[in-house]
Amino acid sequence: MALFPIISNFQFDFVLQLVPVDSDNTMDEVCSAAAHHSVGRRVAPQPDKVVRVRRQGATEFFPRQARLHETGILPMETLEFIFCEG
Amino acid sequence: MALLDRSEWYDIARSTNWTPTYVSEEELFPDTMCGAKGVPMDKWEVYDEPYKTSYSEYVRIQREKDSGAYSVKAALERNQLFKDADPGWLSILKSHYGAIALGEYAAMSAEARMVRFGRAPGMRNMATFGMLDENRHAQLQLFFPHEHCPKDRQFDWAHKAYHSKEWGAIAARHAFDDMFMGRSATDIAVMLTFAFETGFTNMQFLGLAADAAETGDFTFSSLISSIQTDESRHAQIGGPALQVLIANGRKEEAQKLVDVAIARAWRIFGVLTGPAMDYYTPLEHRKQSFKEFMQEWIVGQFERSLIDLGLDLPWYWDQMISEFDYQHHAYHLGVWFWRPTVWWNPSAGMTPDCRDWLEEKYPGWNDSFGKCWDVIIDNLLAGRPELTLPETLPIVCNMSQLPICAVPGNGWNVKDYPLVYKGRTYHFNSEIDRWVFQQDPIRYRDHMTLVDRFLAGHIQPPDLSGALQYMNLAPGEMGQDAHNYAWVDAYRNPLKKAV
Repeated sequence: MALFPIISNFQFDFVLQLVPVDSDNTMDEVCSAAAHHSVGRRVAPQPDKVVRVRRQGATEFFPRQARLHETGILPMETLEFIFCEG
Repeated sequence: MALLDRSEWYDIARSTNWTPTYVSEEELFPDTMCGAKGVPMDKWEVYDEPYKTSYSEYVRIQREKDSGAYSVKAALERNQLFKDADPGWLSILKSHYGAIALGEYAAMSAEARMVRFGRAPGMRNMATFGMLDENRHAQLQLFFPHEHCPKDRQFDWAHKAYHSKEWGAIAARHAFDDMFMGRSATDIAVMLTFAFETGFTNMQFLGLAADAAETGDFTFSSLISSIQTDESRHAQIGGPALQVLIANGRKEEAQKLVDVAIARAWRIFGVLTGPAMDYYTPLEHRKQSFKEFMQEWIVGQFERSLIDLGLDLPWYWDQMISEFDYQHHAYHLGVWFWRPTVWWNPSAGMTPDCRDWLEEKYPGWNDSFGKCWDVIIDNLLAGRPELTLPETLPIVCNMSQLPICAVPGNGWNVKDYPLVYKGRTYHFNSEIDRWVFQQDPIRYRDHMTLVDRFLAGHIQPPDLSGALQYMNLAPGEMGQDAHNYAWVDAYRNPLKKAV
């Protein structure tokens, strides 16, 4: 369990942001932390969708229940947060 | 006693050069400071500055200029401009003074380097006047805002900004240290006087003086005009230096300096002048959009200067022009959203009429940037202002030191341009910023962005309040919405717009 900073590139937002999460967080929890700084602030909520996360430029999303320390994501890596069908 | 006409003695006096006998030429003009790029002394002696003046002529003209600017200020000191001006205009003044006044000192040091280490006698002569110019500009732009300090302490940032670790000040220092302070005399001639001044500030000051007159701020208009006339003279130091470099087979080196300087200058203009023209200036006083301004002056005029000198357009020219459509909108949104972190009060510039103007000037604006502003406006209408304020830091570019940002909404194209260099990952706003770093990594590699400092524990407590403390922004100095959200009323009662 350790503080783990990531870079959020949130779909439809205009800026990359620093988001502190925990290495034990699931990817759903990481998505929720990133959404806190974008959705409802500059990005309109999409309640019928879920937010999934992937590496910048990747097409595949990380499994929703995978824990951050299991994914190989590095601290301060830029991740894309994308609205997906639930 | 009869005086010789200037033309009878000027060429002899200005060409003063000598052959050192007690020290070697390399000791007298070390290349680290001169940057002659292997071009020998005699080749530099053909340097021919287009604007010639003598010291006595210079002093007489500068005296007239100074008395003009100061007497307009004195005559208008009791007018009501401060009370009556749109808060957006006051924000332009505050951001300008804070970002520029002490930057003039940096320019003065840079000119001084050319005075001492310029290889061409004419360059040293011109730079002596340029150095005096920059000192005058610094003093003017510290003195003029000073009268407003008792009424509004944000004006104190004219002097304070560069002594702080506020993010905009870090960005300005990083760019100006790179182009003005940490360069050789030749590099300064190319980067400061040619690329930065001929390319950007000379034009920008013309526009700013006109905008000030249009707004009724004749004090600022006369101040800026007074400065601009100096700029248009000493900005001519760079052109003949480039001619010498190109004529002696150093085009590649010269081109790189120009390309780096334009890239750096464009970012500063994007964050400072872009929001001022398209958002802070009241709608009724806007003459042209920032994009139109950039296309007319930078593309139309500066492009010709580059070609005429025998240089190529920077490799990223088309990319930079495409950024005219969006980069400054993104910077504006960032500055407004992170408004407690700046020393002025950002004007949202977001009434329905303003949005119509933005859509007309930038087709598709409502579908991109407008989407973010829609959410912000909804929050303000619903009484949730806390959601229009940040709870974290934006990631800033390891080159520009400005937030990495681009187009939101349906045109979403935000992207990190990372680079791993000697085990450290750097983040950049674009390929252009990354390319600048790659040209001289040793120069840039050890600098820490505000985010790097945050992660290294320099900012305590590690939250936004700690960041504000770190930036030395006291209550009364932190920015807030320039109009205290009065513009939101137009959305609260849509009929109001029609009335």
